[in-house]
Amino acid sequence: MHNENKVPLIRLAKRDLMEPWKVWCIRLASIVLALILGGLVMMIALPDGATPIDGYSTILAGALGKKTAIRQTVKLAVPLLGCALAIAPCFKMRFWNIGAEGQITAGAIAASYFALYWVGRVPSVLLLIIMGAAGAVAGGLWALIPAFFKAKWNTNETLFTLMMNYIIIGIVRWLQGGPWEGRPGSQIIPQFDRAATLPKVLGIHCGWIIVLILVIFMHIYMNYTKHGYEIAVIGDSVNTARYAGMNVGHVMMRTMFLSGAISGLVGFVVASGANTTLYDGVAAGVGFTSITVAWLSQLNAFAMIVISMMLAIISKGAETLQTRLAVPASISDIITGILLFCMLGCEFFINYRLIFRSSKTEKEAAKE
Amino acid sequence: MKKLLAILLSVVMVLSLAACGSKTPDPAPDPAPGNTDTETKTVKVGLICIGDENDQGYTYNFIRGKEAATEQLAAKGINVDWVVKYNIGENSTCEDANLELAEEGCELIINNSFGFEEYMLKVAPDYPEIQFVGCTNQNSWNDGLENTHNAFANIYEGRYLAGVAAGMKLQQLIDEGTIKAEEAVIGYVGAFSFAEVVSGMTAYFLGARSVCPSATMKVQFVGSWSDATEESNAASDLCDRGCKLISQHSDNTTPATMAQSKGAFHTGYNNDMTGVAPDSSIIGCRIDWAPYFVYAIESVANGQAFDQDFCKGYADGSVVLTNLNEKIAAPGTAEKLAEVEAGLKDGSVQVFDTSTFTVNNEPLTQAFALDTDGDFAPDSEEAVFDGAFHESYFQSAPYFTIQIDGIEWLNSAF
Repeated sequence: MHNENKVPLIRLAKRDLMEPWKVWCIRLASIVLALILGGLVMMIALPDGATPIDGYSTILAGALGKKTAIRQTVKLAVPLLGCALAIAPCFKMRFWNIGAEGQITAGAIAASYFALYWVGRVPSVLLLIIMGAAGAVAGGLWALIPAFFKAKWNTNETLFTLMMNYIIIGIVRWLQGGPWEGRPGSQIIPQFDRAATLPKVLGIHCGWIIVLILVIFMHIYMNYTKHGYEIAVIGDSVNTARYAGMNVGHVMMRTMFLSGAISGLVGFVVASGANTTLYDGVAAGVGFTSITVAWLSQLNAFAMIVISMMLAIISKGAETLQTRLAVPASISDIITGILLFCMLGCEFFINYRLIFRSSKTEKEAAKE
Repeated sequence: MKKLLAILLSVVMVLSLAACGSKTPDPAPDPAPGNTDTETKTVKVGLICIGDENDQGYTYNFIRGKEAATEQLAAKGINVDWVVKYNIGENSTCEDANLELAEEGCELIINNSFGFEEYMLKVAPDYPEIQFVGCTNQNSWNDGLENTHNAFANIYEGRYLAGVAAGMKLQQLIDEGTIKAEEAVIGYVGAFSFAEVVSGMTAYFLGARSVCPSATMKVQFVGSWSDATEESNAASDLCDRGCKLISQHSDNTTPATMAQSKGAFHTGYNNDMTGVAPDSSIIGCRIDWAPYFVYAIESVANGQAFDQDFCKGYADGSVVLTNLNEKIAAPGTAEKLAEVEAGLKDGSVQVFDTSTFTVNNEPLTQAFALDTDGDFAPDSEEAVFDGAFHESYFQSAPYFTIQIDGIEWLNSAF
């Protein structure tokens, strides 16, 4: 009697390692489920005569159907990928850096300073390098602040990094309306000179090359270096790391600086490549969306390429969906949300299993 | 294992069902432009909006223009296939939207916000056969491109007329002894100290002072084109500072409702606000985009070139007043408005007549209109001649940025 009451209807249990093919089946199934659920949403939103199949094919055609479309899709994926790479080491260390948004912005501000005031003083290539370096340093320093407080006084890094975002975005607003304003009263910072704009390679600003190099760098850094090993150990157990003689605070600050620096570099790429100006929405939510990218790829640098492209395809495709079938743009957000929910949710079922209270377990419980 | 297979199979079945299900309604024909009339031309037009029609202000006004233009063009045998993109930001998403519409085969792409132009100009050179329009903007006259256009309207004329209606009301209050002559203070809620705002509010003030000589004005900038709460706060603050009448250059109706709750009068912009503040809002003015849309789309349909820097005014129907709230307007307002309208049409009334205002107690004798070297300070084209400052004469976008006597700027941070 006593025992029976203690067995709930559903219990959770950690799974043993699953065979890889099963894992992939579950993941595939989750995507299929997401597509079906998304299809139901589309059935409501699409005009008469159009089916979810039309909807999905419009999304794909809109994102990948033409050369210009592919370019735009890649342009959307670049900051997502770069920023996911940036936060991966922090998350590996279980340091919850949700301040990438602000670190991107900090990098963009520093890069913009040189773009606006150093143009003409140095040749274009050098100027771009200075802008990139300045962006990386600014992003790194902005990230170092919460890391320092965490290392020194064990402050809550989640809140700290989040709050830092609003400060730096406020600074951009001030710059936009104040010292860097172009036409008086417009709140718009002038467009950068051509010399401060990232050149295009294959029709897309060359930020895509930068992030692909970062993918390789991050893969090596995380898997084959002493730093990467330290990060992994701290992520598993801070005490183990201490026992092994690692200076945890030091590693934290170093990792956060690196993370912020990469975000800052992304900020430079976005400001100089995509927008060619600075404005308060320069990060455009990338700092948050990339958290999803990083988790979905399980912090694997190469998987991030696939996931960020996937999100970019949905995002670009949804624009076309809106243009061609007059579907509200928010529908795409719903579909993206469903997809992410299913994909992240399935990881739960890969790691845990549900045990229902069956008659068998009841009997077993009774026996005990 | 078996269970897993069963699940997989069922998923496959559901999918195939879904695929089959989707096929059946397919035969429904596309909503094809079925009109086989050979006279009918169809033009595909893209419209990129910073907001959507729910703002009841800026974008709503464009949508209203779009609908009116569609009707007028249909009467001329031109079908318009509109593709509208809402809630686009003034950033690279605007570039993407322009690209997207260009790739979708639009022959004319209209950008409705000032901050869009820079991004439009990144796309326009790659599509020389497509016409791009930047409404309220100013680069077409010197961007070196054949396919870019700017459009605006002489909204300062509408402001001036609304100011006349406001001044009539203030003068009525003075004549009736409700307020003293020096208490005729107007409060103005402005977005930013941007040329478009400064030009509009100065025109408004001059209109009011033309019928109420003792009128003065205080301006509060809110630092946003659309921030319902801040606009309301600014209107409230202005009323507390003794303003008897509120006007606005911002997107929301909250200044109207705040003026009503504080017992002040009000005149609106972009939309008729007498509905939300029937005891307070006297009149409003707005740009009517329909004449321009008709003109541009008709030109594209006929394969003709059209004006790269369009600016028409009250006389041409590009600027209109909303209905006068007869219940609260001063007696004789309608007649006075008709008189001033006639004056604007025949040119006998100049809004920025230099004999009607002073700058630092000196008459205005010199002001440049255009900026040619990119430092955002006008350095070319003398705008003051024939006894008036000629607004929207050298380019469609306003360039009057002078602070005149009688208008007090409460904050110039924005």
